Amino acid sequence: MMDCAHYRRAILADPHDENADMRLHRDSCHDCSRYTDQVRRFEDRLDRALRIELTPEMRDKPGVVPFRARDSQAPRSRRLPRGWLAAAASLLLAVVVAGSLWLVVPGPSLAADVVAHMAEEPGAWARTDVPVPAQTLDKVLAESHVRLKADAGLVSYANSCLFRGHQVPHLVVQTDAGPVTVMVLTHESARTSMRFDEHGYRGMIMPVPGHGSIAVLERGPTADTTTMERVAAKVLGAIDWSA
Amino acid sequence: MKDAIGGNQKRARFQALCQALRPDLLRFAFWLSRDRALAEDVVQETMLRAWKAQDSLLDEGAAKPWFLTIIRREYARSFERKRFATVDVDELIAREEPTLAAADGHDVEELRAALFKLPDEYREPLVLQALMGYSTAEIAAQLKLSNTAVLTRLFRARKQLRMLCGEDTRMDPEE
Repeated sequence: MMDCAHYRRAILADPHDENADMRLHRDSCHDCSRYTDQVRRFEDRLDRALRIELTPEMRDKPGVVPFRARDSQAPRSRRLPRGWLAAAASLLLAVVVAGSLWLVVPGPSLAADVVAHMAEEPGAWARTDVPVPAQTLDKVLAESHVRLKADAGLVSYANSCLFRGHQVPHLVVQTDAGPVTVMVLTHESARTSMRFDEHGYRGMIMPVPGHGSIAVLERGPTADTTTMERVAAKVLGAIDWSA
Repeated sequence: MKDAIGGNQKRARFQALCQALRPDLLRFAFWLSRDRALAEDVVQETMLRAWKAQDSLLDEGAAKPWFLTIIRREYARSFERKRFATVDVDELIAREEPTLAAADGHDVEELRAALFKLPDEYREPLVLQALMGYSTAEIAAQLKLSNTAVLTRLFRARKQLRMLCGEDTRMDPEE
């Protein structure tokens, strides 16, 4: 049987370790149970501390793949002076950077507004297997002139939220990996997909041609893109936009 | 023509992979170096090296540890090249103040400053575990340590952090 010192050393080394011996000890020791809560609270703080905010320039810096010209085998027709080439390259780089940033950011503050909205409805993130009543879901979607024509997964939360001056469906879909929030943003167009990672939320905003965009996000360090993409595809496939 | 299309697809796929991993890689490099500008340089260089060596990445699912290995090497290289003088942690903290600032509270800022003061050999496994979600065995493989050594470092890292942050450590175990 594990003793308190052994247990506390183990929980400090890995606060999320849940082996049977440790569980058994914690369940039978009030002090260690209290200590675990204390350590896990500190761990939440550590998680937030490690996730430093990244500026859009840091996150979306283009040019990670070498320019095409570098791979090209095409011979040059004539040599140009080095200084001229450097100036031209700088100009080209500036245009590419400016162009890329413009393309990747569908609206500079849209992601920030989506994340800020999450703080207004923290209860929506509950992990549950109880679906929201079908009538509630229908009503929420109807307010944004859409309806479901197929199964969108286990929707545990549905609310029609005022977002940037429009009523938008705010849904939470339960998955094996945890709850995923979906906001159907019919009034927010996006030229291309963008990912964001802000204040403990990870997500993406994807364009929906002819119907604005959709925001999908997860909370916490375990958020993964594949789950979000799957949920987004399922919800989009289930929506009837002509309602 | 076919080659050009294939090349474009390969490039786009690699670009998407880099874009998806970039936030985590930047954060890892930042906590490794405690220097935002250096972290950006290391990540950029890492991506260029990864692009050149992409054929050695057989499974895209293993991309993250692959990138992390390159980052660690790149950081070590930059360290060798510049032969940094002894660092004054308080100076580092002052220099990186904007990056350490936290919208969600002073307690987070305090913890970030404490992380700066943690010795490298404790900070690195802690970041791999708490930020990158690595298991003890994965950290051991990445850092070429035994599982026991990793657990000891993680234990010491948290113990020191708790002390630096003025947490109630009366129940903390001795070594």
